Amino acid sequence: MNGVVVGVFTFLFLLVTVMGFAAARWRRAESLDHLDEWGLGGRSFGTFIAWFLIGGDIYTAYTFIAVPATLYAGSVVGFFAVPYTIIIYPMIFLFLPRLWSVSHRHGYVTPADFVAGRYDSRPLALAVAVTGILATMPYIALQLVGMQVVLEVMGIGTENDNWFVQDLPLFLAFVVLAAYTYSSGLRAPALIAFVKDTLIYVVIIVAVIYLPSQVGGWDSIFTAANDSFDTFNAENADAIAAGAAQPKGMIPPPAAHWAYASLALGSALALFMYPHSITGVLSTRSRTVIRRNAALLPAYSFLLGLLALLGFVAIAAGIEVENAQASVPQLFEQEFTPWFAGVAFAAIVIGALVPAAIMSIAAANLWTRNIYKAFLKPGATPKEEATQSKLISLLVKFGALIFVLTLPNQFAINLQLLGGVWILQTMPAIVIGLYTRWLHRWALLAGWAVGFLYGTWLAYGVPVVGEPGSHFGGPLVKFPGTETNVYIALVAFLANLLVAVVLTVVLRAMKVDAGVDSTEADDYVADVGDEGVDPDLDPLQTARA
Amino acid sequence: MAERSSRSRGTSRALWILVLVLLAPAVVVPLLVPLYDRAEPTLWGFPFFFWFQFAMIVAAAALTLTAFLISAKADERMRAERRARRAGR
Repeated sequence: MNGVVVGVFTFLFLLVTVMGFAAARWRRAESLDHLDEWGLGGRSFGTFIAWFLIGGDIYTAYTFIAVPATLYAGSVVGFFAVPYTIIIYPMIFLFLPRLWSVSHRHGYVTPADFVAGRYDSRPLALAVAVTGILATMPYIALQLVGMQVVLEVMGIGTENDNWFVQDLPLFLAFVVLAAYTYSSGLRAPALIAFVKDTLIYVVIIVAVIYLPSQVGGWDSIFTAANDSFDTFNAENADAIAAGAAQPKGMIPPPAAHWAYASLALGSALALFMYPHSITGVLSTRSRTVIRRNAALLPAYSFLLGLLALLGFVAIAAGIEVENAQASVPQLFEQEFTPWFAGVAFAAIVIGALVPAAIMSIAAANLWTRNIYKAFLKPGATPKEEATQSKLISLLVKFGALIFVLTLPNQFAINLQLLGGVWILQTMPAIVIGLYTRWLHRWALLAGWAVGFLYGTWLAYGVPVVGEPGSHFGGPLVKFPGTETNVYIALVAFLANLLVAVVLTVVLRAMKVDAGVDSTEADDYVADVGDEGVDPDLDPLQTARA
Repeated sequence: MAERSSRSRGTSRALWILVLVLLAPAVVVPLLVPLYDRAEPTLWGFPFFFWFQFAMIVAAAALTLTAFLISAKADERMRAERRARRAGR
């Protein structure tokens, strides 16, 4: 434990804490006792804030730890994070403005609100809401895993044998996060996102300029990584041939092309189905803000790509760690002067707080709107809704905390893998629903169930390399009937779509009631200033109208 | 309902098609791994596989930005068309 590192880290953390509480007064609303205000920041965020907020959503602390870790570990598909974050923006550009418009016309706060209105189906909306909550929880837990890795490398708490003292820093950080999310709502992460991203940008820019010069330039970094992988493959040739070890590499061989592309596509499609990304998008002021951001957000992709390469830098710098996730924090600790290492660690931990806050708010909104109000207390007032959401956001966060503290971290990682598979199954109802209502509500529900169960079963059947009979070993399966590895979420999604289409034909032929669509074509292109689009509209009244 | 509004979108429709044409390569090219799964030629020490993907980020951003500018125009026209339609009703 280094005093300077911890001092700088603590200072920045406290700074952010003060900002989190002060955020309640920022762009002050008359009252935060309203879900639009607490949960969507008054729906008033412009390009600048939205850029930070959506960026903070997509590029989480776990991304910053896990992506370089996969490259450090020599996974040939590890760099898929880059094509994934390239293809996501054109999709955001096309799909999400439609969701924004229909949500602003009808006061929808969550994707499940939209599904309920579009398909007139409470079971389908419930399925979307439950999937969203289930997929978000392990995501929050992973943010904690990211924080834990950094705290461990800093040596905070690890010198004590008592588990309580060991985890106390993590616990404290989380209590602080929970307290200001509770009092400030979405404004807190939006304001903190400025600090987070500024710090991350500074750290990464310094890291990618300074660190390569310390280890002999990019040329020798790639050579060092390649040599290290070649050595590993030569030493473990027998185990690799027997399937007990994974060969390492930098560039996906032809056999891994589909894996690389399907991971990128599946993750991109899944990402904006996550409730927290939709929350970020709905909090913007207009459709234009979303489109403009789709053009500006790739700046983060560039950052992410450079950051991923730090995994190779760690190899070149001779970092040897048991847990690949510690490679980049360890690299910072070894190569940076102490005060800057403190800044770097603070950047990652604060980077965990922002998405964790947004995710817990999004999960809480789903609960309140689509379970509490839809099933438990239909007559809830706006104030009661806001109170519910605040309480649930606390519950969700502490659930994630207990999860991380009591269960092995691998469990959170497995569940995150499943979360990606699950959330993609809500896509037909949401994205296809934005364009056409042809798919029947019961067919969508059946497709969702098939995709959900099939995907879970597939993931369960993947053994960890070298451990036959183990489960949740990775995100890839052989595509049915072929020898090609493909992302599980995409396979399950195809099954989902197939069921939805076939059943729609059957149900339509049988003339099963398709329900009443409460939206109309014009709703999907409405923008601020149009008739019926009041940015400050009470969502409850419009939902009823 | 849906049919009428899509038919009356006439002039803005051409612009929307242009937007789609601009965005399509940004989604499709990154998925064509065989295009870039090689180490040579290197650029500033970066194998082709890596620098090509960085170049794609820049290219995709440029395409999306162009699409944004066109979509703003298309949105404007679409709104004018809808106003005209309402007035004519």
